[in-house]
Amino acid sequence: MPVVELSHVRKAYDTKIAVDDLSISIEQGTMFGLLGPNGSGKTSSIRMMIGITEPDSGTVSLFGKPFSRKMLARIGYLPEERGLYKKMNVLEQLVFLGRLHYISASVAAARAKNWAGRLRISEALPKKTEDLSKGMQQKIQFIAALLHDPDLIIMDEPFSGLDPVNASLLMDTLVELRQQGKTILFSTHRMDQVEKMCDNIALIHGGKLVLSGSMGEIKSRYPRNRIHIAFEGDDSFLRHPSIERVRRFPGQADIILHPSAGTEAAQGLLAAALAGARVNRFEVTEPTLEEIFIEKVRETIPDAQGFVLQAESEQAHEESYQNA
Amino acid sequence: MLNLRRASMRNVWIIAHREYMERIRTRGFLITTVMIPLIIGAFAFGSTFLASRANTDLHIAAVSADPQLAKQLQDELLRQRQQDIQSESGNQASISSHGRKPLNITVEGVAPAEGIRKALEDELDSGKLDGYLWVTPPTQGGMRSTFAFTPRGSGMSSVTTWLAASLEKVLLRGQLEGHGVDAGETNLLLQPVTITEVSRINHEDSEAAAICVSVLFFVMYLVIMLYGMNVARSIIEEKTSRIFEVMMSTIRPEALMAGKIIGVGAVGLTQVGIWLGMLLVLTASSAAVHLGGNTLHIALTGKQVAFFFVYFILGYLLYSSIAAALGAITNSEQELQQLNMFLVLPLLSCFVLLGTLMTTPDNTLARVLALIPLFTPLLMYFRVSLGHPAVWEVALSIVLTSASICGIIWVTSRIYRVGVLMYGKRPNMAEIRRWISYS
Repeated sequence: MPVVELSHVRKAYDTKIAVDDLSISIEQGTMFGLLGPNGSGKTSSIRMMIGITEPDSGTVSLFGKPFSRKMLARIGYLPEERGLYKKMNVLEQLVFLGRLHYISASVAAARAKNWAGRLRISEALPKKTEDLSKGMQQKIQFIAALLHDPDLIIMDEPFSGLDPVNASLLMDTLVELRQQGKTILFSTHRMDQVEKMCDNIALIHGGKLVLSGSMGEIKSRYPRNRIHIAFEGDDSFLRHPSIERVRRFPGQADIILHPSAGTEAAQGLLAAALAGARVNRFEVTEPTLEEIFIEKVRETIPDAQGFVLQAESEQAHEESYQNA
Repeated sequence: MLNLRRASMRNVWIIAHREYMERIRTRGFLITTVMIPLIIGAFAFGSTFLASRANTDLHIAAVSADPQLAKQLQDELLRQRQQDIQSESGNQASISSHGRKPLNITVEGVAPAEGIRKALEDELDSGKLDGYLWVTPPTQGGMRSTFAFTPRGSGMSSVTTWLAASLEKVLLRGQLEGHGVDAGETNLLLQPVTITEVSRINHEDSEAAAICVSVLFFVMYLVIMLYGMNVARSIIEEKTSRIFEVMMSTIRPEALMAGKIIGVGAVGLTQVGIWLGMLLVLTASSAAVHLGGNTLHIALTGKQVAFFFVYFILGYLLYSSIAAALGAITNSEQELQQLNMFLVLPLLSCFVLLGTLMTTPDNTLARVLALIPLFTPLLMYFRVSLGHPAVWEVALSIVLTSASICGIIWVTSRIYRVGVLMYGKRPNMAEIRRWISYS
């Protein structure tokens, strides 16, 4: 039984179509990554899942039943727009938010203290919210989403704006919660975060589903045509005919093989490199999620216009590959 | 369904409780609670103090060929002041239409002469005189003298009317004397007639009741303005702090609106309660009672007090739900200020209508207006207190107002829900209409 099921959901605001014919299914006890660039419809999709807005067409089912507001008590939600009552005491704020989720004040206070200990933020509890740093406020809101021990945890960009230490602290927490059988959905535009954590993903762009499935399955669909090489000496092998593009770094290179090069091309390239250089590292991988995403968007939306949102990151790629 | 409704009520309570506790603990609450009565007290005390000081002496000159006139006029003025003081002590709450009469009155007789007007003008300028009366004798027989009074500054019109009344009596007294009527008989003839009003409904005089009702009216106005705007501000705060998304993933916007309105309103009621408590303590101690010169007494029946609370709460809920709507369509306090005339105008029009209603609370205009929800809280309360509205009118007014409150909260919560999700510029009317129809 899927915990979350969106079926042919569509939502338009005035003239802009935010989500178009989106179908997503999330199984119990899995970690699901909702990916896409800014403005791709991630937040709009999440808002429809929890009834903040209703879809124009299509259906939303949670826990195997059509959405009803009663289900909100079983959902923990961290919105993208962080917000807390600024003037309010942190612990009182957590208790207040907990009570709105149908747990008693005393239970809420006990859990808030427990969570604050786990996330190493206990010293913030007696303070006023406005006195906390942005990152600390984000952790407090993270706790607020978990206080009522929800079965489904939905987090919109949970790690954005956090330093690496805190980001990995929250990631570990989510992984722990998944092991306890909770279902977790989070959105991000940082593809690298998802690769490690998620069982399943959905990539959306322009409100449309571009790619979905389990992490391993998606990656297996793509040839292992990426090579990372660290070497010393002659770099003439970088002009090998099987290479499509090269990104040079001091003593290293990232290589994309030509699609037509065949499965043995990597071995041929290694031989060519060994002929003139000393190879310290040679790694053959499948494309990163980011690369798959860019490729996929290019396939589904051939005209450059539809690709504007991704232009920034693409431009960065083109620049670095020009050195080849 | 019942379960869900109970859950909703619980959420309304939680929201209201937070709103109440957060507000009551602020320094701002403490300051307004203490400062507003202090300011009003200082103002009342200051104005009566100034008024009493300004009027202690009245020194005027009478320019007349008749040397007796000045003396007669002074006697008459003093006599009238004495009568006023007597009637005032008999009717505590009445406020004399001429204001308070000065304590020392001197009328100096001046014979008309060359350059006398110039001399008098100089004395006016130097402040020795408060005004001078110029008497021009009749040019032909069968006519009366004409009188012109030149006061030192403006704002002495009450003195002018008072002088006219006194002169009339002086002249009448002179004529009666000329016809041989003796002084005692003349006094009796010229004694003013006073009518004591005996109210049919209760023993309190209706004028005092009207004053008390007006005071409550003002309290209602003040609280609605202060706390209605607080509701709007609280909603804007929700938007600027971006907490609305968490709230809306938990509770219905209707519950949020209702909770805010109730919570902020409870703060208002607490404050009014504290003020009333202060007033009771003050009136209980005799020292403060004569603060304004007039004795305060509360001339209200139980019915008037009960209906005050009914219409006060209805009025507050109605106007604060309008304020909530204003908060929902604006993004900042500056924008809110541009729109707060929607709150002020209906309240001000009630104020304007108050004059006619005071005298005729049961005429057709009043009956119709009091049924319009925007005016009901203030006007129907007035009619209930001072007029005789039919039972069905009272019931209908309560039903209509309650329905309006629910309607406005419903519409507001929709505007709020869509408005916060589409932050940015202020919406125009067409957009608001579309938002209401959004789900």
